[in-house]
Amino acid sequence: MNLVRAELERLTARRFVQLMVVLLALAFGVTAATTLAGSHQPSPVELAEARAQAADARRQMDEIYQQCVDRVNGNLPPEVEEQYYPADCSEVDPVRQERLPVATDYLTGVFTFGSQARPLLFFLIAFLVLFGFLVGASYIGADLNSGGVVNLLLWRPRRMTVLGTKLGTLLGATLVLSLLASVAYLATFWVIGQTAGLAGQLDADFWRELGALHARGMVLVLLATALGFALATLGRHTSAALGTAAAYAVVWELGARLVLEIVDAPRPDRFMLSSHVGAWLAGEARFWDASGCASSGGGFCDASYTLTGGTALTVLLVLTGVLAVAAFAAFRRRDLI
Amino acid sequence: MSAVIEIEGLRKTFHSVRHGRRIAVDGFDLVVGAGQVHGFLGPNGSGKTTTLRALLGLVRADGGRMSVLGAPSPTHLPQVAGRVGAIVESPQFFGNFTAERTLRLLARAGGVPAVRVDEVLEQVGLRDRGHERVKGYSLGMKQRLAVASALLKQPELLILDEPANGLDPAGIREMRDLMRSLSAAGVTVLVSSHILAEIQLICDHVTIISRGRRVAAGRVDEVLAGFDQHEFRVRVDEPERAAELLRDAGLPVDAHPDHLVVGEVADATVVSRLLGEQGLWVRELTPLRPDLESVFLELTGEGVHPSLPRQVDGSRPPGGAPPHGGEIDLGTVGSDRGGNA
Ligand SMILES: Nc1ncnc2c1ncn2[C@@H]1O[C@H](COP(=O)(O)OP(=O)(O)OP(=O)(O)O)[C@@H](O)[C@H]1O
Ligand SMILES: [Mg+2]
Repeated sequence: MNLVRAELERLTARRFVQLMVVLLALAFGVTAATTLAGSHQPSPVELAEARAQAADARRQMDEIYQQCVDRVNGNLPPEVEEQYYPADCSEVDPVRQERLPVATDYLTGVFTFGSQARPLLFFLIAFLVLFGFLVGASYIGADLNSGGVVNLLLWRPRRMTVLGTKLGTLLGATLVLSLLASVAYLATFWVIGQTAGLAGQLDADFWRELGALHARGMVLVLLATALGFALATLGRHTSAALGTAAAYAVVWELGARLVLEIVDAPRPDRFMLSSHVGAWLAGEARFWDASGCASSGGGFCDASYTLTGGTALTVLLVLTGVLAVAAFAAFRRRDLI
Repeated sequence: MSAVIEIEGLRKTFHSVRHGRRIAVDGFDLVVGAGQVHGFLGPNGSGKTTTLRALLGLVRADGGRMSVLGAPSPTHLPQVAGRVGAIVESPQFFGNFTAERTLRLLARAGGVPAVRVDEVLEQVGLRDRGHERVKGYSLGMKQRLAVASALLKQPELLILDEPANGLDPAGIREMRDLMRSLSAAGVTVLVSSHILAEIQLICDHVTIISRGRRVAAGRVDEVLAGFDQHEFRVRVDEPERAAELLRDAGLPVDAHPDHLVVGEVADATVVSRLLGEQGLWVRELTPLRPDLESVFLELTGEGVHPSLPRQVDGSRPPGGAPPHGGEIDLGTVGSDRGGNA
């Protein structure tokens, strides 16, 4: 317990951690301020207009669908101006659309919490993932280099306990900070929506989905933190983690993707970590496989495939787990100079 | 007297891709008894720090047995770590923390009451500057902080690797007084240093290491006695005639411009009687006792070619012939000068 408190103090006293927290607060403040400045509560007239526009748009969609069906059945009235209709009319069937135009789509300069919360949360998660990775790497990296670990081991000559406490404290602190940041973040924008914009449709479904996205985001933040920590421990240096991340992005995500496309490897996206990150966050991700239809001779062919959130999580967990175990194993045996 | 530190046959080889294998410690033995102030001497690169690191579980030994306060190291080190204070080769501290905070964090991690922090800061003379960041400390101040961190847990055994590194003359004296008072309070001290006069002043025992092996060990006075060639400095009015007389009597004589050095003198009266009988009156007859420095240079084979730039005592490449034939038999020193090329 004392070790945890000491680690916590060490962690919070790090300049880099403080800098990242300030950056987080800054990014948060700027987004909130600009949103606040660019949003106003719509007047009844504006609302009525927007509602009318949305109703119009929905009616238009109904019409086009009807015309498409009529054309297929061959009873399209001649006075209708011919335009493009898809071969499969279900594509324009309003009932099958993911979402229909609503009044808020036609309000300019109005912040609607209900429709903006998800993208805002995505941004926060992205920042926290970066935060976790960098802090995780620099925390152990700097400590390995500044002699902090050696000093600590002279007091507590149990390497696994010392490293485990460091990782545990780091993950705990990151999670607490992330939770606090997300609550503050969402609450602020909710208040902006209530007072200087629109709340939007905030039903149980909305909160459930937002909650699920948030939970998946927190898992990702913790994984990134552990990954940064493990890489820096393995490489004995903060820059080892940063270098690995940069090299991975350039060599694998860009280079290997290119090569895989050139050699027509099937479904290259499933080899990319970024695909799995996306799939985990969104619940699932669909990818188009260019090589999948090569043999179908031009006929209809659905070559898309899905990465499910479950598989994605497994991939991410295994990767982080393997690296973390390797880091602990290396640290257990290593000569500490 | 029970042994507080026991090291037997310690071996450590460093492997590196570019430089291959490097034997840092090569079957080294060390025994430190309870209550000793034990000097640990050796040239640069002879393996002192590596030995201490292995003892404290920071590097993995390749062979040998070690124990600290009766606990086998490194397996049972955690059981005794609270009773061992150590600094190994100028420890680094996190520059952004103050000395006080650095020590408080260590105290917390080790379950030591926080009042100790102020006590040790006072003890090492950092009381007034303990609230400044370590980053702004001078070398000697950092060294004092390191010593403070070792003292924090009121250890029974204190291991200090070059504690005087960077200390000013007053600081060195304070360190000496500190070690003496700790020793008086029953603390066992193992201290490595290159300041041999200092070691001779404070230590009762020494172990000398060279190229990863023990070349001498024991009580300081015994080690020195083993190197005593019973030499006397003699001043007389007619040195040439005196030298002749003494040589005739079978004593080795070294003639210097203003004095003679006579060896193998069992008793000073031998010289004075021999010369007096011939009417040569001795003006000075001083025994030349070896000091730790001359013994050290003798043992580590480094006083041999004073004109050549000396290379650091790197560990031997594997397979290379050892320059010394193992541990030196105290007393037959002169014969054991290894060929140091
Ligand atoms: N991490 C390492 N990797 C490779 N070789 C090392 C390492 N640490 C020490 N050595 C080698 O081991 C030998 C002994 O080094 P050590 O630091 O123990 O010497 P020392 O007696 O403490 O010297 P000094 O008086 O200069 O402090 C040297 O040849 C050194 O080059
Ligand atoms: Mg050393």
